[in-house]
Amino acid sequence: MAEHKNSDNGEFHPKGTWVILLIFVVTLILLWGSVYVILLSRGVTV
Amino acid sequence: MLANYEVSQAEKKFIGLHLLFAVIAVSIGSLFGPLQALEHSGLDLYPYLQPIFKSYYQGLTIHGVLNALVFTTFFITGFLTLTTIYGLKRPLRYPKLNAVGFWMMVVGLVTAAIPILADEATVLYTFYPPMKAHWAFYLGLTLVVVGSWIEGYGMYFTYYAWRKENPGVRTPLTTFGGLITMVMWQIATLGVAAEILTMLLPWSLGLIEGTDPQLARTYFWFTGHPLVYFWLLPAYVSWYGMLPKQAGGKLFSDSLARFAFWLFLLLSVPLGFHHQYVDPGVPAGWKFLHAILTYSVFIPSMLTAFTVVASLEYAGRKRGGKGLLGWIRALPWGDPIVAAQLLAGILFFFGGIGGITNASYNVNLVVHNTAWVPGHFHLTVASAVTLSFMGISYWLVPYLTGKKLAVSNKFALAQVWTWFVGMMIFSNAMHVVGLLGAPRRTPLGLAPYIPEEWSGHLLRVGIGGTIMFFGMYMYVYIVAKTAWSKKAEPANVEVPLAESVQDPQDTPEWLDKWVPWLIGTVALLLVAYGPQLIDQISNISLTSPGFKVW
Repeated sequence: MAEHKNSDNGEFHPKGTWVILLIFVVTLILLWGSVYVILLSRGVTV
Repeated sequence: MLANYEVSQAEKKFIGLHLLFAVIAVSIGSLFGPLQALEHSGLDLYPYLQPIFKSYYQGLTIHGVLNALVFTTFFITGFLTLTTIYGLKRPLRYPKLNAVGFWMMVVGLVTAAIPILADEATVLYTFYPPMKAHWAFYLGLTLVVVGSWIEGYGMYFTYYAWRKENPGVRTPLTTFGGLITMVMWQIATLGVAAEILTMLLPWSLGLIEGTDPQLARTYFWFTGHPLVYFWLLPAYVSWYGMLPKQAGGKLFSDSLARFAFWLFLLLSVPLGFHHQYVDPGVPAGWKFLHAILTYSVFIPSMLTAFTVVASLEYAGRKRGGKGLLGWIRALPWGDPIVAAQLLAGILFFFGGIGGITNASYNVNLVVHNTAWVPGHFHLTVASAVTLSFMGISYWLVPYLTGKKLAVSNKFALAQVWTWFVGMMIFSNAMHVVGLLGAPRRTPLGLAPYIPEEWSGHLLRVGIGGTIMFFGMYMYVYIVAKTAWSKKAEPANVEVPLAESVQDPQDTPEWLDKWVPWLIGTVALLLVAYGPQLIDQISNISLTSPGFKVW
């Protein structure tokens, strides 16, 4: 496997890791946003 | 290849004693977890414990103090003693000094436990004044903290001796992470030391009449939030420095790992006001500054997520995993040591998201003092930390005792999955019912009326908490049986230090220099806390009487 062969000479590219971090950021935005919507629905800014 | 080091039997016994007290503490503290969870779901078992245990709040205090403070501190000081001597490949410089620190912690534990068990210190693990505990409680906690400091000094002396003999050599990563954890802890606990020694102890002894709850809370949260990092960083030591090898690979980047640890030292402490967003005595500008600083911890957290996951991806691909995410399945999920840490990371995925919500100045108002908050910190201290410590125990106890785990691999795997499933149910329910407005620190089962929409979630709190109870006692059984079994097979376990893809000597020297980072840490603390502490101390108002509300 190319990625494995290259991994010891600094050419390993953790593409799957970037995908997981992207999933994390998207989930974070969605869940944080849902709490923010609850905040707005309670009229805190009124 | 990393050279091995033979830890002496005396050193193994010393580290093992830390684990013994840690496991005793968590086995007692965890008795009360399901009692609280079941109480929330409508099954109140506390009346059956009379007259030994008086109330829900006494149980909650025992649960919080023993699990969050005692289990963690003993486990961490023991584990970091090992990472210090094994990483540096030399014995402790002054073993008697470390022994003094350890036994001081034990005396402190007993001193604090007596008033808690006598229902004279039912003040929960945050011990907010004006609730007033027996003086022995405050003295005991002080001894535990000072004992841990002394153990830390022993680690510093050992490191100093190594450094003199090894100029220019990069500090081994696990030792490096452990030392930063100790330094951060010693800086952070100055807050609670000031709170106890200048306010709570003289107050509880009757030397001063009243107390100032606002200043006490500020002191407490100076320590209280970095306390989370004192718990987390040893788990990170394992995730960075051991898990890559256990998973079959190498650490992706030594430099990124060290940089993240430095940032945690720099940024973990000056952010306590995000726990005090609704405190009237802290000006909004300072709360905002601490909110920004709290967000800044997102940087080393993401560096950690990237480096650890990349190391796992490296291992998964080395094991034959293919595709964008196929390497995840290729990881050794059948190994309970690895599975525990992977599952801890999955739970922490959600813990991190909840943390950002807590840190947000306005969004915090939705969740402040609700069941969301204990739901969140069960995803940190009881998941990322405790589940990782469980996984660590499954090689550390065999290493210390020379005996293989006294249960089958499947049983140990079942233990970590039981904890994981229980936590998923429990923490999710706590978050959701918190969003619906359920308060924390409240025996909801005693309320004459609760909204109908809470009921299903509170039932899930009870179910999840009960499953976790079984998961915890499976862990205690495995550790105890391994430690004391005379029939267990001998084990030949080595400390699993991971190699890095990059030679650590290629890590820039500035990532192994203490002085600039320590100066930066102190400077940031002075900026973030100095003016407010001067203001609150100069306006101290020791007027509040003590209350025994239990």
